[in-house]
Amino acid sequence: MSYEIPMGPYHPGLEEPYKLNMICEGETVKDAKLHIGFNFRGIEHLAETRNYIQVIALMERVCGLCSFIHTLTLCQAMEKLTGLTPPPRAQYIRVVVGELERLHSHVLWAGIAAKLMGFKTMFMTCFEIREKVMDVLQAISGNRVNYAMNRVGGVNRDIEDPLSILGMIEALEKEMTRTIIPIFTTSKTATSRCAGIGVLATEKAKSLGVVGPVARASGVGQDLRKDAPYAAYAEMDFTVPVVPDGDVRARLLVRALEIMESCKILRQALTTMPAGEIAPPGDGSKFSFITGTATARVEAPRGEVMYSVSWKENARTPSRVHVRTPTYVNMPSVRFMVQGARLADTPLIQASVDPCYSCTDR
Amino acid sequence: MSTVESIPAIGPTEIEAFSEKGGVFWYSDSSLNVREVARAMNAVGARFITATTYELPANGGFRLEYHWDLTGRLLGFNFPLTGSTIDSIYDLCEAADWIEREVHEEYRIDFTGREYEPLLLRKGNVCGVNLQKEVVQ
Repeated sequence: MSYEIPMGPYHPGLEEPYKLNMICEGETVKDAKLHIGFNFRGIEHLAETRNYIQVIALMERVCGLCSFIHTLTLCQAMEKLTGLTPPPRAQYIRVVVGELERLHSHVLWAGIAAKLMGFKTMFMTCFEIREKVMDVLQAISGNRVNYAMNRVGGVNRDIEDPLSILGMIEALEKEMTRTIIPIFTTSKTATSRCAGIGVLATEKAKSLGVVGPVARASGVGQDLRKDAPYAAYAEMDFTVPVVPDGDVRARLLVRALEIMESCKILRQALTTMPAGEIAPPGDGSKFSFITGTATARVEAPRGEVMYSVSWKENARTPSRVHVRTPTYVNMPSVRFMVQGARLADTPLIQASVDPCYSCTDR
Repeated sequence: MSTVESIPAIGPTEIEAFSEKGGVFWYSDSSLNVREVARAMNAVGARFITATTYELPANGGFRLEYHWDLTGRLLGFNFPLTGSTIDSIYDLCEAADWIEREVHEEYRIDFTGREYEPLLLRKGNVCGVNLQKEVVQ
């Protein structure tokens, strides 16, 4: 006999509202249906009432974790409509802040995953490391969540002493290689909770169009930083970790390896950052939009973010801003990940996607 | 060879068939059908990204832009709607499920050939109240 178990919208593992109705037989999940929209905010509609400065501040609030990525994608789209090209130093600063954001997002996720495994010591370790990354972001921007770094044609703040950040990166790498990666890959607690759980096969991942670490943990090696480089990524030497297994352990491993690659990118960007302006010379607030639509994509911590921006010449506000966030395409895959899983494993399986409902309910 | 048949041949040298504008490689052919495009994209292994809806001024209807990724290249296809219906591609491309449901909910556009589950982003049964400026109940 099958029965339905609702999980959410008050979720046992995650602080954001969504609901998963699971059809179970005994302890085994047979199927699931996902419900979102509990905090739908209509941000795309609000964007049509904001000017080119206000819309950046608004879009920074689509997501609390990858706020920088959202303004970066929006500004890149608006730069296509204004013909502005950010100076080289601004491009490097965008890489640095983007990678710091990836670091704190991935480390936060590792902490939450550890907590769901029942590994609370690791949770504390991860959050201690994340705090160091947040301190650096605060030192650069003055803020811990919404950094207000991006503007059309460049960035708002310089990194005055880039080399001073290297110490944090070394400490992070040391902690990752000494503690976090070995424990996540070899400890019995982590292996028994993660290996072979919540599998998303490569073909299914392609069919669902999943992105980011979820895709790369299912053997789909896509990463916009390599495939369609933006900012200064074309000048960075790094690899894209791909693991074919498709289970929770693979998603954990991919993110851990991506932390190491982010450290590698940060070290290059900080040591080779060119001198110069961070925004167009002169009065950078004066520019005009051409009529048309432009699209930009950026590799956020959770995967591809895409913005389509439509503007009319001499208009104060955009006529359309469409946001496609990574969780929006990753979350439908949870239905297939939980099929055949034990009910007790489903919170961890859901968390392994690193869902962001702030983004999804934009 | 028809234009639709030429889409599967997209490669590094055939990209000239597309015109780059605003960061997207556009394929302009008003005779294209969205399902034919979806089949062609499947054939070359392109990844569906999203569909963006634009409400045209003066009750001019809608325009839908479909985007696929092919090895890092962003491909775009434009579909002006004379009414408020367009074929669904959900059966060909399951990644299009949520965006079709969202567009249906926000603009009252019907994707023919599919069944709808309850609304994705809101409760209730009324479509077209989130982004469509003039709602006809």
